[in-house]
Amino acid sequence: GAGPRLDVKASGVFVLGIGHGNKLLTDLYDCHLTKVYTVGGLFGKATDDFSDTGKLVEKTTFDHITREKLERILAVIQGTNHKALLMHSNIDMKTQEAYELAVKGLIRPMGKSPPIITAIRCLQFALPEFQLEIHCLHETQQYLRKIVHEIGLELKSSAVCTQVRRIRDGVFTLDDALLRTQWNLQSIQNAIRDCQLKVKTEIEKTLGHQERSCLPKMDAEMAHAAE
Amino acid sequence: AGRPPPALRRGLAKAAGPRSVRQLREAEEAAPVFQYAGKAAKRKDRVFVWGFCYSGALGVPSFVKPDVGWKKPRRIQPTPYRLETEEKISSAACGYGFTLLSSNTTDITKVWGMGLNKDSQLGFQRSIRDRTKGYEYVLEPSPIPLPLEKPQQTRVLQVSCGRAHSLILTDNEGVFTMGNNSYGQCGRTVVEDETYSESHLIHQLKEFDSRVVQVVCGQDHSLFRTKKGAVYACGWGADGQTGLGHYNITSVPTKLHGDIAGVNIIQVSSYGDCCLAVSDEGDVFGWGNSEYLQLASVTETTQVNVPRHLPFKIGKIKEAACGGTGNIVLTEEGNVFVWGYGILGKGPNLIETAMPEMIPPSLFGWSDFNPDIRVAHIRCGLSQFAALTNRGELFVWGKNLRGCLGTGRMEDQYFPWRVTVPGEVVDVACGVDHMVSMVKSF
Repeated sequence: GAGPRLDVKASGVFVLGIGHGNKLLTDLYDCHLTKVYTVGGLFGKATDDFSDTGKLVEKTTFDHITREKLERILAVIQGTNHKALLMHSNIDMKTQEAYELAVKGLIRPMGKSPPIITAIRCLQFALPEFQLEIHCLHETQQYLRKIVHEIGLELKSSAVCTQVRRIRDGVFTLDDALLRTQWNLQSIQNAIRDCQLKVKTEIEKTLGHQERSCLPKMDAEMAHAAE
Repeated sequence: AGRPPPALRRGLAKAAGPRSVRQLREAEEAAPVFQYAGKAAKRKDRVFVWGFCYSGALGVPSFVKPDVGWKKPRRIQPTPYRLETEEKISSAACGYGFTLLSSNTTDITKVWGMGLNKDSQLGFQRSIRDRTKGYEYVLEPSPIPLPLEKPQQTRVLQVSCGRAHSLILTDNEGVFTMGNNSYGQCGRTVVEDETYSESHLIHQLKEFDSRVVQVVCGQDHSLFRTKKGAVYACGWGADGQTGLGHYNITSVPTKLHGDIAGVNIIQVSSYGDCCLAVSDEGDVFGWGNSEYLQLASVTETTQVNVPRHLPFKIGKIKEAACGGTGNIVLTEEGNVFVWGYGILGKGPNLIETAMPEMIPPSLFGWSDFNPDIRVAHIRCGLSQFAALTNRGELFVWGKNLRGCLGTGRMEDQYFPWRVTVPGEVVDVACGVDHMVSMVKSF
């Protein structure tokens, strides 16, 4: 089985599960953890599918854009998404519990919700190019491209997305990911073993102690695979 | 005889099929470039209002008297609504059902007022239908003519509004006061049986130890802070809010002593019957009503009529604001502390405290990801609080009386919550049931 989707034009961390790992994937999905992307953008044009390979819709000037202006827009995006985060989390805002969770930053929707950006910041800025780091929930890569397009509009110009790269999916980061050259049995086994603890800890923390009984089975699977 | 049809030409027709990369690039290069904003594009100054509409305090006549037949009057504006103003507004103040806006321009018209005018807190607003009468309610920002000696030189620096009176601070013609004077809050002798409605009287105050740099209206009293760091007061004193050592009314601005004697006060605040002052060394002083534990840290009495130093150990204080039952301070480090009674901002469980409690900075957007966020200013309405961050975001909490929080919901808010405003919020004025903010567009 596979983790959250990564569309054709995007790249990055993509989680796969074998055997019992599929059940863990479902559990991880229920944890509603954030994913982190680096998104590249280019000012000056707008296309129909928001990416740089789409059909050109309009070209605009961009020399009035500064890093400060971009960061102002990013602050607004973060603010409105923070509100959405609290509102979709289905917590009664009038309780002390809601206050405690809001202070710790632990409120997040544990069910279906529209895409929400939990954090966004500018990593690089060199007109006309820029690069953002986006932390999000329940997103699609196309949604991220649309965000780039909307940032362009807010800055009274236009922008297209040149790159979407997932650098973190829940507990899995780029460091855990296997390169093409490492797609062999030994590496895969090692990777499963290295991530085991992280996955177990996260699931327990968020969903409770339901999964403990299932993990010994996973060890058996691995032993099988080793043979 | 018919002409033979012209030979079908293929010369101008293009071949079908997806365009090559080169064709795409050429088409792109040939496309026109649009300019929506030039390098010199300036950010515009805007005013946003929200809260209770029927008093006219929001300044949008169509909320009270719809201009089109099918529209219904709007009782509450729950989210920020843009108010078109002629001039750049530099100071705004919300009173009890009315609003003052001022610009520091040298043009003749410097102050506008809207809302309740039954005590002429907005000056005399001549009725169009009957020129001998004045309006009791003003539905849109209307100029308030001031009796200035040099109207084309003097600038209005700041305005403040109380329950039924207003103060207007100028740079070199002192302070102008208007509205109800039953308790001497306008700084002039109380006239028995004076009729305040439809009054043309605007009083001027100039006798202070130095230039007045801040004016503050409490519910029925007035505070004046001078350049030399002194504080003067006049008006209702039953709760000791005038800080003059008695509980009587005062009709002439008189200097306060007590713990602030000789202290350089850099900021004063009041809105209900309690008052706070901040010194240049970061100390905070309080006087007035203490029924809600506002001054319980130094005394058990419920009224304090002399300024007392509040010995809080929370760091140097930069700014203080007083509401009806709750108080809030901002320290030099950017931390926000609240105390008093009511919805203080730490969840429904904290209803009252005599000692300041800090509101966690994470509620204002601070996190490992955004470690530079700080609260820059704090404001108080009668039963709500507002905080402005250095990123231009506005957070509100407290009782959501008639939608005055601007969150879009009608529920009270027990911890700081962002108000979505299209722009960077530069300042905000809080009233009883409405708020006004000054915003810079992006």
